[in-house]
Amino acid sequence: MATIIIDGQNYDLPEGAKFNAIQAARHFGIEIPYYCWHPALSVVANCRMCEIEVGSKDASGEIKMLPRLTPGCQTPVRDGTVLVTDSVKVLEHRKNIMELLLINHPLDCPVCDQAGECGLQDYSYSHGRAEHRFVEERNVKPRKEVSDLIVLNTDRCIMCTRCVRFTREITGTAELQVMRRGDHGEIAIFPDHPLDNPLAGNVVDLCPVGALLDKDFLHNQRVWFLSKHDTICTGCSTGCNISSEENAGKVWRHKPRHNPYVNDYWICDEGRYGYKSANAPDLLAGSYILDGGDHHGATSDRFFKRLNEDLTHRILDKQSVLAIFSPFLSVEEAFSAASWVKHLTNRNTMALGPVSVLGQDQTYSPDKLTGRSGDTSFLVPRPFTISAEKSPNKAGVSFVINHFQGSNVVSFEDALKLVPSNPIVIVFGGSPNSDWITPEQSAEIRKAERVILFDTTINVLADAADYVAGMATFAEKAGSYVNRDNRLQHFDAALPLRDGVWTLLDILAILRGVGRSPIESRTILAEAAEKILALAKAVGGQVPEFGLNLTGQDALIPDAGFQDDWTMASLAKA
Amino acid sequence: MRSDDPSLKRLKPPKLTLFEQSYLPQILGGLFVTGRHIVNAAVGTGSLTMEYPEVQHQPSANYRGVHRLNKDEQGRVKCVACMLCATACPVHCIDIVGATAPESWTDREKYCQSFVIDELRCIYCGMCEEACPVDAIELTSFYDLTGLSREEMIFDKTKLLSVYDLTKTAEPMKSGIVAPESSHTNELYTTPTMGPVIERQQLV
Repeated sequence: MATIIIDGQNYDLPEGAKFNAIQAARHFGIEIPYYCWHPALSVVANCRMCEIEVGSKDASGEIKMLPRLTPGCQTPVRDGTVLVTDSVKVLEHRKNIMELLLINHPLDCPVCDQAGECGLQDYSYSHGRAEHRFVEERNVKPRKEVSDLIVLNTDRCIMCTRCVRFTREITGTAELQVMRRGDHGEIAIFPDHPLDNPLAGNVVDLCPVGALLDKDFLHNQRVWFLSKHDTICTGCSTGCNISSEENAGKVWRHKPRHNPYVNDYWICDEGRYGYKSANAPDLLAGSYILDGGDHHGATSDRFFKRLNEDLTHRILDKQSVLAIFSPFLSVEEAFSAASWVKHLTNRNTMALGPVSVLGQDQTYSPDKLTGRSGDTSFLVPRPFTISAEKSPNKAGVSFVINHFQGSNVVSFEDALKLVPSNPIVIVFGGSPNSDWITPEQSAEIRKAERVILFDTTINVLADAADYVAGMATFAEKAGSYVNRDNRLQHFDAALPLRDGVWTLLDILAILRGVGRSPIESRTILAEAAEKILALAKAVGGQVPEFGLNLTGQDALIPDAGFQDDWTMASLAKA
Repeated sequence: MRSDDPSLKRLKPPKLTLFEQSYLPQILGGLFVTGRHIVNAAVGTGSLTMEYPEVQHQPSANYRGVHRLNKDEQGRVKCVACMLCATACPVHCIDIVGATAPESWTDREKYCQSFVIDELRCIYCGMCEEACPVDAIELTSFYDLTGLSREEMIFDKTKLLSVYDLTKTAEPMKSGIVAPESSHTNELYTTPTMGPVIERQQLV
């Protein structure tokens, strides 16, 4: 067992950990401040913020310290490593570094979007000095645009080069460069080669200061007004962990959350800007019944009563049901919906809704060499994939259908062919895009005697169905998705339910006549885990932080959970 | 701190003399103050009431009344929409919508597209004024604020800027800058919703 000494205290390193001093200290709840280091990028040690006193204890028990301060990001910890992070020398050094980094800083926090989650603010407060001694004229660098979506305020930049390393090492596109040297150095792009790779938005999250900012979010909100909700991106079947940040009933942005088994520290731009459909003004706003060729709004009571009476009557007539489950449903919704269909009649067919596949999977697989400009010995490169399958839960919904149907999942195309033999078609939608169904497919479904639709958007099928009930969007519901690697991940609701609609879980609880709303997704997941073998691992509806690997065992990752954010609160949590 | 902490200093109430225990000196002292007020009011020099509204009350210099939004030397709103006032506000009566400043404003990148204060919800604590990093929001000495509806008491950016135009001479900005007269803002005084403000203008 490797033992290290931090600030005079002995700590046992976890087995198999290859930590640098920052990671090791953080692991034991001790903060070493840093800017340029990032757990997924190579070490360049150019901000000098993490410099500490380093030494080693030899076999005789004698401690020898290096005479000068050493960057923590570049210091491997092994048995007998001695780190001193709180000596007067270290603290004084941090003060000086902060003063140097802030020499040309415009100090425009009131108008800077980074304020509130800024590394400079946090560290000047905890490690800096209150006064500014620099009296010379500041070197003011220009502000520029590096792409249609990202602005670069070079005057706020501290030249940590995280963004440059990201484009070289992770995406391999190398759009960003350091132009000129020393005090005149600045980040730049080549003319006509904008920063437009599919992961470009990540440089905004990587930037520890307000230099790289998202134009989409620019000047909209102050970050301290936003409440963060841990959710899962619904853009594709990768299931990236994201934080959905909401204020005043609107989602303002998506930020990645670290999950070493899924998305590491990144999300793609498609997912990043995918929040907009949650704020769409024209979502289904209630329940409607088709009467005399026109849809009439119905109160929930009347809607459920009419629907129940109609269905009971038809089921007694021995009519069969075709149920279509969108791959945007959560596992809980699919389970609850399938239970209801099964409860209605045994003469049913369950099919998967349309799964759109766009192009090819796009995988970024960084290694320890390609594009790397610094030390990579502490680094575990992890691939990032943008899946071609543009729905979050095809796997989870398929598990549910397989269980209830006891056979293979019927595809949407095959389901359309079954419409003539099934007078009742029930569609459980949920896609944030209103074009998930084409007018031709809608017309095909409309051939059934009764079409019942639960959905979020106003689409062609909603214009035609007999019963239409609005339900919670992806941002308004909680539950869990199973991603392409069979990982079950829980997501929270980010927005309160809009007026006039219910979550699908509540609607189904009313229709099934079981449970009292509001239904908690965890209770449904617990029920599903008991019944469905593929979900058996989710005992009691409990899903761990990084999700549940349904088909295998996760490899142990010692530095898992190392969030790269700037709030002191996150350290307190760790 | 625990109640038995040795660093706590314990105080004993003062011991009253027999005369003080009769409470007579306190009663007599109180009666003397009352008598002084009666005599002063009767003679007329020390009256505590005021013949409002014929006589106007002049609040002290640090009185916290209706807000104003200050203008800079070029007559633009000083506010940069940093929302620190909205953050500091204990009753959440300030609502600001920020926007990227026009290209021609070379000295700043952000300004307030909309700035609304609910004067009815406000508790006039002055925290917004203290929080403001650019001295854009200040509390004036307006105290006689009236309106016929709740909507009228929700002050928008135009109205708050016009409060500045009305009060800038009587109450200079704390940073000492006075914006030049601009013709178009004067029209705003005559809009019907400006009832209380017009009245005040005649008094200034």
